[in-house]
Amino acid sequence: MKDLLRRKRLRHSLIALFTVLIFALPFIISNNYYLSVLVIIGIHTTVAVGLCLLMGYAGQISLGHAGFYGLGAYASGILTSTYNISPWVAIIAGAIGTGIIAYVMGIPIFRLKEHYLALATLGLGLIIHVIFVEEVELTGGPSGLSKSIPPLSIGNLAIDTDSTFYFLVWAVALLAIIIANNVVHSRIGRALRSIHGSEFAAQSLGVDTGKFKLQIFALSAVYASVAGSLYAHYITFISPSPFGLMTSIQFMVMAVVGGLASIWGPIFGVTAITLLTEGLKTYVPLIYPQAGGEYEIVVFGLLLVIIMIFLPEGLTSGLVNIYERWRHRKERAHENP
Amino acid sequence: MKILEINNLTKSFGGVHAIDDVSFSVHRGEILAVIGPNGAGKTTLFNLITGIYSPSCGTINFCDEEIDGLTSYQIACKGIARTFQNLQIFNNMTVLENVMVGRHTKSKTGFLGAIVPIGHVQREEIDIIDKSLDRLAQVGLADKALEDASSLPYGQQKLLEIARAAALEPALLLLDEPAAGLNSTETRELVDIIYQLRDQGVTILLVEHDMETVMEIADRLVVLNFGNKLAEGTPYEIQNNQEVITAYLGEEGSVC
Repeated sequence: MKDLLRRKRLRHSLIALFTVLIFALPFIISNNYYLSVLVIIGIHTTVAVGLCLLMGYAGQISLGHAGFYGLGAYASGILTSTYNISPWVAIIAGAIGTGIIAYVMGIPIFRLKEHYLALATLGLGLIIHVIFVEEVELTGGPSGLSKSIPPLSIGNLAIDTDSTFYFLVWAVALLAIIIANNVVHSRIGRALRSIHGSEFAAQSLGVDTGKFKLQIFALSAVYASVAGSLYAHYITFISPSPFGLMTSIQFMVMAVVGGLASIWGPIFGVTAITLLTEGLKTYVPLIYPQAGGEYEIVVFGLLLVIIMIFLPEGLTSGLVNIYERWRHRKERAHENP
Repeated sequence: MKILEINNLTKSFGGVHAIDDVSFSVHRGEILAVIGPNGAGKTTLFNLITGIYSPSCGTINFCDEEIDGLTSYQIACKGIARTFQNLQIFNNMTVLENVMVGRHTKSKTGFLGAIVPIGHVQREEIDIIDKSLDRLAQVGLADKALEDASSLPYGQQKLLEIARAAALEPALLLLDEPAAGLNSTETRELVDIIYQLRDQGVTILLVEHDMETVMEIADRLVVLNFGNKLAEGTPYEIQNNQEVITAYLGEEGSVC
């Protein structure tokens, strides 16, 4: 019991420490480019945390999360620019709508398992993307929304600079992490992990596995939707291209690279992948000027393979394991010089 | 007083009758063992009772309520728990967390409660931990509570499965070959645990190959052979039943 309380306190102090770090960062970094990269990292972290709940804890997969991300972005974009609805209401409406869509679409999809599930979610993502492209009257089609998306504001404070957006985005990401942490260490979290451990055993203990899969799928879709809304307000213009298959794969790579069965994994995974993407954008054209955008997928593919072979638990626990082994070896070397 | 009543139960896979017109009852508070040679249909019977398979024919009544056709988790909610022949431990969790999943049906926290864990949610969580630790203590694993379940040796994983199933506070507990792979000391521990559970009011239905243990602990036995019920009775009756001896050892004088 004492050990359990100690573990719980440790988790809470980690979150507190992280909060302090995150909110201290903009006072150290004032460069706008770095801040904008950090904003994007915060937005992607929110999606990846949701994906980790689904993949790492419940053991399910989704290759369609860019679709939910897009639903949030378009809900915010359309409701605020075309219908002049308050941005905050639009974010919540988008999140609820996306959650309902995920839940309902999940009913047939989650009858499937493993590869088939991956393909079905991929299909769902593609269908949503096609709607963004084809519903020209609503979405503006391939060229995107024609009206610009108004900025978010709290009272009179407009959130339209990189630094103000940084605080908003990371407050949301933190909330996402805290909620995920609470869920994981609860009756619900244990039920989810039991599905991953053994679906038969979970059912034999009275866990309605089908219902929990749907609920966590919907929750992770809500995470993606909120992140998408923030993205729309940050960029102030949206078109279908950032919400395609490539982004879904990117989200999955971020989650896997960071380590699925960890609340902190996504932050590392997202940071690594976002920095890598930014680095590729800067350096690849210097080395190979004719390169198109497709080289990214080659790098992601390679990275995924390398991670799966050498650090199957992801960067976070993988690196901790390597450190532990190194410390053990050092201790042994001390004992037998 | 019957707790479980199986009537004319049949399960066929293609043309094979894994269970063929089997009927028997389990009385409240007893230890009933199902025995039979390999492939007799024992595990299939368990999978039928716990809703993993649905019967081709026949009915299963639990506490005078028809449970065939219900899903696995619904049957668990009614109060039937089980262990598995091939272990189904949650390897991604600690020993204690495994047992805590067993408290699932006895607790109520939903998604909202999990997101905002205040007041009664925390009290419920503490209650789950307390009850789960009790169950672990019962099988002698309390000191391993915070270790990874996958790090336990085989025998202790089997005990963990029993603790996890018992955490559900089932009226009926199904044990699928609990003694398989255990050494004699571990088997003694197991027998004690089964008696304790019985004394706490749990009715026990078990499948077991270890005849010595079965004959010792079972109040009654049901013998299956090729999906059919061959015999039913006390250990003494079964040991002296000519048909059972033939099924196990072959026709007298036919081979040797």
